[in-house]
Amino acid sequence: MMSQVEQVKSLTQVDHLIGTGSGQSDLAETRIASILGLKQFMQGPIRTLLIKGVAGTGKTTVALEILKAAGLGKGAYISSRVPKEMLETHIPAMKETIENQEFLDIRLEDATSVLDFVMQLSQSKKYKTIVFDSWDALAKEMDRSERLRAEKTLMGLAHNSGSQFIFVSEEPGATTMDYLVDGILEVSMLEEQDRAVREFTIHKLRGTRIPQRKYIFTLLEGKFTFFEPYSIPDYSKISEFVQRPDIASSYSLGSGGLDRLFGGMIPGSTLAIEYDENVPYSALRAIEIPPIINFLSMKRSAILLPLPGANDQIMDLVLAKGVDALTIKDRLSILNVLRTSDLKTSNLPKNATPREVHEVLTNETTRLREKSIDKTVLIVKSVSALENLFASDLDSLLEVTSQEIITLQQSHDAHILFLAKDSPIRSRILSMSSSYAKLFVRDGTVLMFGVKPHTDIYALQHLEDPTSPSLTELV
Amino acid sequence: MTQCYILLTTAPNEVPEDTILPKDDFAAVYANAIHGGLDKVLGHSGATAALYHTKMTNNLPDPAEFHRKLLGLFGLEGTLSLERAIVKDLALRLQWSLDLLNIEGSFDFNNTIHAVRSGASV
Repeated sequence: MMSQVEQVKSLTQVDHLIGTGSGQSDLAETRIASILGLKQFMQGPIRTLLIKGVAGTGKTTVALEILKAAGLGKGAYISSRVPKEMLETHIPAMKETIENQEFLDIRLEDATSVLDFVMQLSQSKKYKTIVFDSWDALAKEMDRSERLRAEKTLMGLAHNSGSQFIFVSEEPGATTMDYLVDGILEVSMLEEQDRAVREFTIHKLRGTRIPQRKYIFTLLEGKFTFFEPYSIPDYSKISEFVQRPDIASSYSLGSGGLDRLFGGMIPGSTLAIEYDENVPYSALRAIEIPPIINFLSMKRSAILLPLPGANDQIMDLVLAKGVDALTIKDRLSILNVLRTSDLKTSNLPKNATPREVHEVLTNETTRLREKSIDKTVLIVKSVSALENLFASDLDSLLEVTSQEIITLQQSHDAHILFLAKDSPIRSRILSMSSSYAKLFVRDGTVLMFGVKPHTDIYALQHLEDPTSPSLTELV
Repeated sequence: MTQCYILLTTAPNEVPEDTILPKDDFAAVYANAIHGGLDKVLGHSGATAALYHTKMTNNLPDPAEFHRKLLGLFGLEGTLSLERAIVKDLALRLQWSLDLLNIEGSFDFNNTIHAVRSGASV
């Protein structure tokens, strides 16, 4: 115990040389607020924060990220679980952060010694943020009333010293600490078809309105990155399209993110994109448009049957940024089967059957094939639009769609089908598709993963260009 | 927030005869009351840590110095709570009725302890 006490004393002395911190600001004023997406609504003073969750959910990384942000180089990390070297090995991305803080290894200390360390650390007023990882390791050795009193002691020290205390806990249920701290973050791991998705929940932030309680986050490269709710991109900021060449014998999907996810599209294959009703159209557009523009820029042809609710103006704007008007006129056919004007253009009767639409598509494919440099055509089709049109004759729709997929397999064309999660012909189409990806929304974040082939799960955003998907892996 | 203060209303000459102690005995009772009062609020670990930190583990705390050290750790409100707990514990140990402690007016730990000591010692 004495050696640790001396260690703490020497730390405070060293800190005295570094300079004095105000020790009076609270978590609301630090970068943690923006990291956690809280800055805009954190107004009350948050001195004590509890980060809880079962083992392996990322509590320590979150705590270190907060320490890095909130401590401003004047933090202390009290570890009851692992020594410093091991922590740096486990979370290499945080090595610098750990090195920059005071690290106290209390694995063999008792509660009295630890409380004394905290008194020394907090009374010196040099440490802005003090992390306990974990408090329960010590607290479990105490009986209930002793634990509650020790925790009250810690709260008293925190509020008097102006330091921010962050307690890491592996106790998932409510504990005495829950009632005492100013804020509670719970970190958890969810499963989406065998894929792990990390989520944090803000259970409590005293004196603060919480507009969104849950956020998805990733520990990619050992760093804590959370995802704000998906926002519709600003289409006035479209950058020039950069052509992506074929990937060996596969067609590029026109986006680095999509190519990395699927490895491009093999000629003759069908990629099915399943989406749930909460996925915004702009997220789907980011998958729908880049392959078309890339196909056109490679001097090939494309046909598009847009999703219901497609915005012609945005579509035109996006296409115009990617390819010239002549290319669009010559080698792109947009057939909106839900719109009377398009039915007229295509010489389709108002009550056209699935077979008649199929014939129009076949004729357009034949016509555009001749204009494609290598006679290949990309067909991007909304099954939902066709389902809406042929709701009373889904069997015929399934029949012609199956026929299209089979015919396409014998060609060098590529096929991308968009279908809603609740599509009545979903399972039949998916069974015939070579690739299959799912899009859905969780905590406001659009998530995507490949079912066939199996891929990891990604968050979809528009970080570089509003028309292109930025896919960040969730790990 | 309503602040409560303990005012010792008992004058030294009103102290019951059977609670008057020799000086050395008072010191022992006072030391035990310090431990007992802090234990009550901070728990055993917190009390031991606070006494260790304030370097009051072996010596009988000087009330004024002890007050200053507690202030540094727990602030005014925290210190008042702790000192009230100590005085209550002391009163119980001296078998003074808790009715003698009137919760009103200002509370001064140093004066209170000195008053109790002079009232309880011979």
